[in-house]
Amino acid sequence: MVRWLSTLTLNQKLAIVAIVLGVVALAAEPYPGGRVTLDARELALVVSQEADHVEAPELAAWIIESRADYRLVDLRTEAEFARYHIPTAVSIPMSGLMDAGLGRQEKIVLYSEGGIHSAQAWMLLKAQGYRSVYMLKGGLDEWNDQVVFPVVADNPTAVERARDERRRSMSVFFGGQPRSAAAVAAGAAGTPGFATPLTPAMPQVAAPSSPSGAAAKPAARKKKEGC
Amino acid sequence: MMAPFFKYGMFGDQTSLVVAFLIGIGFGFFLERAGFGSARKLVSQFYLNDLAVFKVMFTAIVTAMLGVTYLSWVGWLDLSLVYLVPTYLLPQMVGGLILGVGFVVGGYCPGTSVAATATGRVDGLLYLLGIFAGMFAFAELFPLLKGFYLAGAGEEQTIPAAFGLPYGVVVFAVVLMAIGGFYGAGLLERKFAAKVVE
Repeated sequence: MVRWLSTLTLNQKLAIVAIVLGVVALAAEPYPGGRVTLDARELALVVSQEADHVEAPELAAWIIESRADYRLVDLRTEAEFARYHIPTAVSIPMSGLMDAGLGRQEKIVLYSEGGIHSAQAWMLLKAQGYRSVYMLKGGLDEWNDQVVFPVVADNPTAVERARDERRRSMSVFFGGQPRSAAAVAAGAAGTPGFATPLTPAMPQVAAPSSPSGAAAKPAARKKKEGC
Repeated sequence: MMAPFFKYGMFGDQTSLVVAFLIGIGFGFFLERAGFGSARKLVSQFYLNDLAVFKVMFTAIVTAMLGVTYLSWVGWLDLSLVYLVPTYLLPQMVGGLILGVGFVVGGYCPGTSVAATATGRVDGLLYLLGIFAGMFAFAELFPLLKGFYLAGAGEEQTIPAAFGLPYGVVVFAVVLMAIGGFYGAGLLERKFAAKVVE
């Protein structure tokens, strides 16, 4: 056997290796198909590390950059969606989640009013084998709080000034206005921004993906080709 | 940890550009090491006396295919998240033919022309300028070409799915094709190398 091996050229040995690997691969099933195994420990780890979250300012930055590699899903009712939604979002109420034609390989960001519905939808999608599902942390509440009506300091330090400048421009981009820290503290629960129902004007944002959904796949990604 | 890292959000756009740069440098390095920085070497495959390009590319395909198969089989890679170029059958066939003609006439394909330019070859540089001129012309004419460019379903099709074959069978068939191809390439090289000497 050893002597026979030594008579082979390197190319012949490589060919034998390739054939052996090819034969073994006959049994390979790289796409698990409809079968989904949930790794509870892995899920728990994801949850505890908050790796399943997208923070509101992070999402705002994605929208401003016109990133198109994810799909933003509004889980509330259509009426609520019509009243206000985060720019570029598509409306998929909870009840229609499984028939909405979301791709299992798509990056999906879910949001609802608070965090509960999106967390439940997250679990449902995970159980159906959707691989990259994220939640907007704190839902629309935190979106309004941190992006549309952010708090800015009254007597900002140098560091705070830069931060507030970012918050201000983000807020203006999304049709809101910053709130002063003093007013927020004085008003306690009845903050100026929250005294009236928040209905910021829908800003004109160049949507990176059409709400119809077909174009929401990352088709705009540059082709990667060899040679 | 599970690949693909970019799709799982383990690094962002900026890091991915750095990674792409490193992979690109590596790609160019191995093109050059395989001798593909020379138009003579590349074109000789069309005269059938040196099929190194065919052999290197097919080896790369088989290596990558087996790697991807086994990595996803053991669960380190989620194949459903790997980017696939959407299939537009007729436009891509025409595009492939245009690229092939350019390959024979110019002596390079896009990647190798960059590698040749990097090592200071003037013909590589001219080819590269041609690529940019072509890109410019294509972009300007795109409104006219758009209908044809997007003709077809534009879905991400794979051979196992399109022909209803088990994934492993396709892998095995490609390995056999490669081995047969290498053997045939060796025969052709010996046959046509003799003619060159005459």
